[in-house]
Amino acid sequence: MLTTKFRASLAVAALALTTGFMPAAAQQAPRRVPSMLIKNATVITVTKGTLQNTDVLLENGKIARIAQNIAAPAGAEVYDGTGKFVMPGIIDPHSHGMSDATNEGTLSVTSMVRITDVLNPTAVNGHRSLAGGVTMINILHGSANTIGGQSATLKLKVGRPIGEMLPAGAPAGIKFALGENVTRKSQNAVPGGPPRRYPATRMGQAEVLRDAFTRTRAYKADWDEYRARMAARPAPTTLVAPRRDLELEPLVEVLDGKRFVHAHGYRADEMVMLLELAKEFGFTVRTLQHALEAYKIAPEILAAGASVSVFADSWSYKLEAFDAIPFNAAITVHTGVRTTINSDSDERIRRLNIDAAELMRYGGLTEQEALETITINGAWQLGMEQRTGSLEVGKDADIGIWTAHPFSVYARVERTIVDGETFFDRQQDAANRAVRAAERAELEKAEPNTVPSPRGAPSGPSRPAAPTGENR
Amino acid sequence: MPLLSRATLALTVAVAIAAPPLAAQRVTPNAYAITNARIVPVAGPAIDKGTLVIRDGIIVAVGATVTAPADARLVDGAGLTIYPGLIDAYSTLGLRAAPPSGGGGGGGGGGGGAPPARPAGAPNSRQPIGLQPEVRAIDQLVDRSDFTAAHGAGITTALTAPQGRVYEGQSALITLRSDDFAAMAVRPTVALHIGFQGIGGAYPGSLMGVFAALRQSLIDAQHYREEMVAYTKAPRSAKRPEYDPSLEALQPVIAGTMPVVFRANTQREIERALDLAKEFKLKAMIGGGLESYLVADRLKAENVPVLLSANFPRRTVAPAADAEPEALRVLRERVQAPKTPGQLKAAGVRFVLQAGGNHADFVANLRRAVASGLSADDALRATTLGSAELFGVADRLGSIEVGKIANLTVVKGTDLFAADARVSSVWVHGRPQTVAAPAAVTAARPAGPAGQRPGLEGTWQMQVQLEGSERIVTLALRDRDGWLSGTIEGDLGASDVVNLVVEESGEIAFSTTVTTKEGTDEAWFRGRLANGVFSGTISITGQARGLFAGLRQQASSTNREDR
Amino acid sequence: MSRFNRMAASLIAAAFIPVVAEAQLGSPNPLPGPQGTFAITNARIVTVSGAAIERGTLVISGGKITAIGASATVPQGAQVIDGTGLSVYPGMMDAGTSMGLNEVSQGANATVDDAEVGSFNPNAIAYYSMNPHSAHIGVTRVVGVTHVLSSPTGGLVSGQSTLANLGGWTPAAMTIQQKAGLVITLPRAGGGGSGFGGGGFGGGAAAGGADATRQRAIQLDSLRALIADARAYRQAMDAYAKDRTLPRPQPDIKLAAMVPYVRGELPVLMQADRAVDIRASVEFAVEEGLKAIIVGGREALVVSALLKEKNVPVIYAHVRTLPSREDDAYDINFSAPGQLAAAGVRFAIASGDGGAQVRDLPYIAGMASAFGLSPEDALKSVTLWPAQIFGVGDRFGSIEIGKIANLVVVDGDLLEARTNTKFLFIDGRAVSLVNRHTTLFDTHKDRR
Repeated sequence: MLTTKFRASLAVAALALTTGFMPAAAQQAPRRVPSMLIKNATVITVTKGTLQNTDVLLENGKIARIAQNIAAPAGAEVYDGTGKFVMPGIIDPHSHGMSDATNEGTLSVTSMVRITDVLNPTAVNGHRSLAGGVTMINILHGSANTIGGQSATLKLKVGRPIGEMLPAGAPAGIKFALGENVTRKSQNAVPGGPPRRYPATRMGQAEVLRDAFTRTRAYKADWDEYRARMAARPAPTTLVAPRRDLELEPLVEVLDGKRFVHAHGYRADEMVMLLELAKEFGFTVRTLQHALEAYKIAPEILAAGASVSVFADSWSYKLEAFDAIPFNAAITVHTGVRTTINSDSDERIRRLNIDAAELMRYGGLTEQEALETITINGAWQLGMEQRTGSLEVGKDADIGIWTAHPFSVYARVERTIVDGETFFDRQQDAANRAVRAAERAELEKAEPNTVPSPRGAPSGPSRPAAPTGENR
Repeated sequence: MPLLSRATLALTVAVAIAAPPLAAQRVTPNAYAITNARIVPVAGPAIDKGTLVIRDGIIVAVGATVTAPADARLVDGAGLTIYPGLIDAYSTLGLRAAPPSGGGGGGGGGGGGAPPARPAGAPNSRQPIGLQPEVRAIDQLVDRSDFTAAHGAGITTALTAPQGRVYEGQSALITLRSDDFAAMAVRPTVALHIGFQGIGGAYPGSLMGVFAALRQSLIDAQHYREEMVAYTKAPRSAKRPEYDPSLEALQPVIAGTMPVVFRANTQREIERALDLAKEFKLKAMIGGGLESYLVADRLKAENVPVLLSANFPRRTVAPAADAEPEALRVLRERVQAPKTPGQLKAAGVRFVLQAGGNHADFVANLRRAVASGLSADDALRATTLGSAELFGVADRLGSIEVGKIANLTVVKGTDLFAADARVSSVWVHGRPQTVAAPAAVTAARPAGPAGQRPGLEGTWQMQVQLEGSERIVTLALRDRDGWLSGTIEGDLGASDVVNLVVEESGEIAFSTTVTTKEGTDEAWFRGRLANGVFSGTISITGQARGLFAGLRQQASSTNREDR
Repeated sequence: MSRFNRMAASLIAAAFIPVVAEAQLGSPNPLPGPQGTFAITNARIVTVSGAAIERGTLVISGGKITAIGASATVPQGAQVIDGTGLSVYPGMMDAGTSMGLNEVSQGANATVDDAEVGSFNPNAIAYYSMNPHSAHIGVTRVVGVTHVLSSPTGGLVSGQSTLANLGGWTPAAMTIQQKAGLVITLPRAGGGGSGFGGGGFGGGAAAGGADATRQRAIQLDSLRALIADARAYRQAMDAYAKDRTLPRPQPDIKLAAMVPYVRGELPVLMQADRAVDIRASVEFAVEEGLKAIIVGGREALVVSALLKEKNVPVIYAHVRTLPSREDDAYDINFSAPGQLAAAGVRFAIASGDGGAQVRDLPYIAGMASAFGLSPEDALKSVTLWPAQIFGVGDRFGSIEIGKIANLVVVDGDLLEARTNTKFLFIDGRAVSLVNRHTTLFDTHKDRR
């Protein structure tokens, strides 16, 4: 006998069938973001302290008010936050999620390639990241080459059109990479495999950078000269503009400070090399990614104006990671280097809260310092600190609602809200499971999912029922 | 009355095919009249009983009251319905056949004489194969072995395009006639075709690189045009630009006079194509269009037509009892596909239909589309006049009208879309063609177009050995009109397969996102199919290489259920 | 003055224990001192096996716990640790590791000693690969993981696991039980059988389709034959021992190694993750009369009825593993331990890690608790339950008089990432909290 609730689920499934299974993205016309009032929660603002028994009002995708006893505006969803913890959405400064490609590994410099060309707005890792309270990620090119591709800052509005996920005004970024992943020394040569690619050494990496930025300077000079000549009056009529070079254009932006460099590095010496070259060519490295040995050169990083984005406790998985220590962040934070924890992983992104909590154990960061590594500091690294990364009136409503303090291993995310809209709701997720099971059963019966018998007539359902007593 | 018997007809065709160039040319009388037939001209109302007269390959008269000329060879059309010849809006017909499917190693078949999987590149190009827009299908028509199957599906005319990597080349609109290749062309160049597969081993090797390379070449084409204009204006004062066949070939493309067909099936592939077209003001079409229904609004707004594949996916092999369950989206996709034509029509999106390389099921698939919401008239239009209009040949093809090329599809019965109807003959350039016995709708996969036919489709249980530990993954590969796509699930996470390429050497390579303890990164699988085992190496950036070997999941009938 | 006073203080607190000699500082893993008499007073004592004692004294002597309770007296001469504000827990056990068998998994192959060549290596014992000075050991024990089961891998019969304390001069000094389990991985069941499963990568890969099914059958048959041979070997040895007139059996170290396992005296660790493989493993063990423990167990829940019926425990090593299918619930593996508990399946939670990340074990158990396992059971799943599954529940896994003093003293909940370890005892010896990471930290923390 079907319960009413289950019937409703079936109805939803049937609706899904008739509408051709359009994902949420396609079905939802642009609509006004509904208001939401979270009542009586512990509110971890990150920048303005932690407030007990406090309400947070979200309107038009922004945080409208943070106070006690806010009256619910008409039509607002009221969420009882009693016993719950509200914190800013977690920001992961190093992810490869939501993307159909990671590396253009063929060349040593691939600054022309763009992650924004290959985003996958429905990738399953997006939902799983939301379930870990993450609301914004920096999708980086892989670490196969010294200068990799252009990165993308993405709000996890999973299922929405890509355009809605890319926040307007987010600064551009680019991936650089140093060390073993570029030299490929940790990969054994396979007979008949691809030949070694330049650079095969760290000194070669330095020269790839020097060559690229030397060419970039010359390219920039060509254009400056052209623009100067075109500015003359009367302007020359037969002058053809220099060829646009998509490899060098983003590097011009780096030199002009308009594109953030996110540089993968492990060993102290390679990171120092990059900082020196950056100084030579007059640009700043925004983040040193992974920066496993940042603790050895924290003063140099501080002096160079760079920040670091590190792993909490990963180490020893390869030789250049053998000096990685979980105290890394404690040293950089105490030196004054802006520090974040990143995942670089569809798995770890689901529990960055616990990674941050570990910083309190390893090196004794305060709760405040540890919280900053997964919120406001990441926002700064992506140039979004005015928009997100803390709970402040006027900022984007990017929020996680947790069952306990997010630094507790016993905490779980109940809701994740991006730009004021709920993109993860644990209760909804649980309800969807029955809907999907019903949908699957329905689909399995549909003609195209049955195997035609040799005579052409469709056979019955081909998948036998699970053996009794088993609950797949 | 001297009726042309079926046997004679077959003989005529056989001679036409087999006859070598003769010292003494034999002239075949070329006036025909088909009488007493139901005629569906598409351009006008159906004629229940009429006569159609053909001379020198052209329709010269049609109507209920037309009389057969005295010199015409008469064909009794009683019980038959004549349609304009169907047009396959996207094919590789006439181009080099695909290599034999994998797994044929050792025994016969295969062998050293197998033609290369892809057409050779353009001579003297400055670009590597895969980035040569100057490649033209019309220069590469060498093979008519698959015409018979097309004729069996009622197809008389096709847009045929080389299949390569990024710039696949320029398509031709051809009639599927059995004499000389050059004469097949109705329009020798129709559109430039673009695919999103990297060229493998060299830049661009990834999906990202493909877009960067496309962008740079289009920008270079614009620059080339500017330089040429400047040089033409003042040849002695400007630097002489060097001739570049690739950039030359792109000129009509950036001028918007030559359309670009993007091979795109998923929503995001289609959106990427539309974005690029918008960026460079290209006249875009979508080839494939599996998920075009999700992008209908935009396709309509941007007036981008779809060359929609009617090769609707379906389950063909019963899963083993303990097989991994198929992803929900795969089940959904199969149920959705036949509904898409009707939904596109309802949404006002311009579309025509292509066989998707599956001629055996083409007519049956049209019926499924009609059963799933597309009107019969619209289905017919999408396979005749609609394509002719889209490809700029509506003055010559696409309907039964006086003066048009006599390409006809003749059906036994009164309705092509009736379950028992079958194509009894096709006429190409005014001559009847052999029609093979209708292929039963079987579970077997049809032969797809040239390019990627490694026999990899299906579900593979793969063992991956990485750093001494073993992972089990399920690789599910689907054939979309001869192009493989798929997913990987299991111990390395769940992700889409991208960049799948089959090298001429037989090496199969693809990339996918994997998650190991070290993190998430891209993995490249490179391997070969031999003796039913797909095996090779896996390489993850920053990690050690590993090995993989996979076997296709077996059908349930061969699995013992023993508990 | 450094901002690291607190940390420094805690390290000093650990180092105050006089048995940690000056000379040992700076070495990657300071070795445990001698077994002495220690008393931890005024501490919360989380016994695991019984109710927690909110404020009490715990006495360690001669390597064992000798007194517990609110009124326990401090023996004369005992080194006293004021446990005010601190909690004492039994040390955790990770039963799914290769700790000490490898150091750097990639690009330094020479440090990897966890997999032998060939399919049948029952005589290989983790003990002989174990490096007591692996840097992994020092950084792992300071979170309170005091003993692990370290297992070899690869092939059909990988070898024998060793149960060891995380500290000792030599493998012998570390070892609790040298031969604690035999690691077997059956060739993959179903869906194409084994490409290379147990038979080495090259061998099976040449086979296709039906060949693979046959290959799997051949591999299973050879495993069955090995087991039968081992029984016969034991029978012949016993017979010869009684009757010297019988022909003297030829010794065979592989068969000899198999004997206690084929007789069901010691557990066989069957590595299996997919439901089909778990089921096949259990059925194989039942047919062959083996005492099976499933290791890995990702889809154990699917076969929970069988596992419960046959009383086969699971070392669940996949809490943090990504769901394997795109349609899987996001928390399918987070919630598995809670559901296994509800289904009545015996299990322990393991990291499943080779060594470096075993230190995450407490957070892994904590995550299972966030998704349905009670906090009490989460604690048991990394203390008492693994000890019981491996037959050492009488000596490890809880705080009871007479049990071996593997203890950790912390300033909070043992499973929480924010918790700091204050004191550590392994085998009744005080263990310094210094390790490779604290040393590197100390070396660089005050750079300016």
